[in-house]
Amino acid sequence: MLSLKHTRLSIVLACFILGFMIAVQFHSTQNSLKYLTQYQRTEELSQRLLQTERERDALKEQIKNGTAVQTTNLTDSAIVEAGISAVEGPGIIVTVADSSKKTMGDDNVNLYVVHDEDMLRIINELRAAGAEAISINGQRVVATTEIRCAGPTVSVNNERSAPPFEIKAIGDPKALENSLKMRGGVIETLGVWGIKIDVSTKEQLTIPAYNHANDFKYAKSVEKGEEK
Amino acid sequence: MIYAIASLVIGALVGYFCNITIPVEYSKLFSVALLAGFDAVFGALKAIFLKTFDNLNFLTGFFSNTLLAALLVYLGDNLSIDLYYVALFVFGLRIFKNLSYLRHCLIKK
Repeated sequence: MLSLKHTRLSIVLACFILGFMIAVQFHSTQNSLKYLTQYQRTEELSQRLLQTERERDALKEQIKNGTAVQTTNLTDSAIVEAGISAVEGPGIIVTVADSSKKTMGDDNVNLYVVHDEDMLRIINELRAAGAEAISINGQRVVATTEIRCAGPTVSVNNERSAPPFEIKAIGDPKALENSLKMRGGVIETLGVWGIKIDVSTKEQLTIPAYNHANDFKYAKSVEKGEEK
Repeated sequence: MIYAIASLVIGALVGYFCNITIPVEYSKLFSVALLAGFDAVFGALKAIFLKTFDNLNFLTGFFSNTLLAALLVYLGDNLSIDLYYVALFVFGLRIFKNLSYLRHCLIKK
């Protein structure tokens, strides 16, 4: 029954199967490492990162070229007007904050907070006094800039910001300050409701460039002389 | 012994070049089966040293253990009982036990 031949055969068979299984297992472990979801995910993400970085670099290059071309064609005043570059110069900083007064009785609460209309009045006043560049909470005010109510915030260049607002304006500091502080002016009328407006003149302040794409879909420029 | 090692190597080569990959969902079962196979072989080695080796016992043990282990783990998976770890523990323990026994025997010689 216990012949040596049989024993040997069975051991050989078992070992063969065992070796086979080891190899298969080894093989599939090696392969499955690549396909593990985690590895896949990292692979995918790093791939995407690389691609995005490449895109970013390409776009940066494009911007460099684009602005270089544009600025060479544009006059200095046009650059300031369009907000292409940051500008610096003397001016004022106006900070506008909500009222800290307590509402009285049946007063409308809305009267005590800063509204887009108040901001528009201030901007308008500053422009009338000869402000050359204006920004609201770091958003450059250009020709297409909107100032509108967006819930409890005010949206400027489609960027929402909440009070206190910091308005920077470059121009004659004295004239700008006076335009706001004059009798019956903005500060006085808004002051009634307790809205706090601080004006400080600065010898030197910087206003950032307009940081959104200038993409005109409908308006096409007409060459001079073509006008009808 | 030489036959055993040679057949092990041949089996490994065949398995490697067959290019079979176990799908991820079955890799658990397969690894348990592999462990059971290991256990059976080490058990056989021990039996040879003890001179109690029985051919039929070995062969049936080898196959039934591997298949049963895989089957049990599969069942456990479906019943959400992690029998996988139990199998790992039991077979691992036995393998180490047998190995240490073999070492003892070799040193005594």
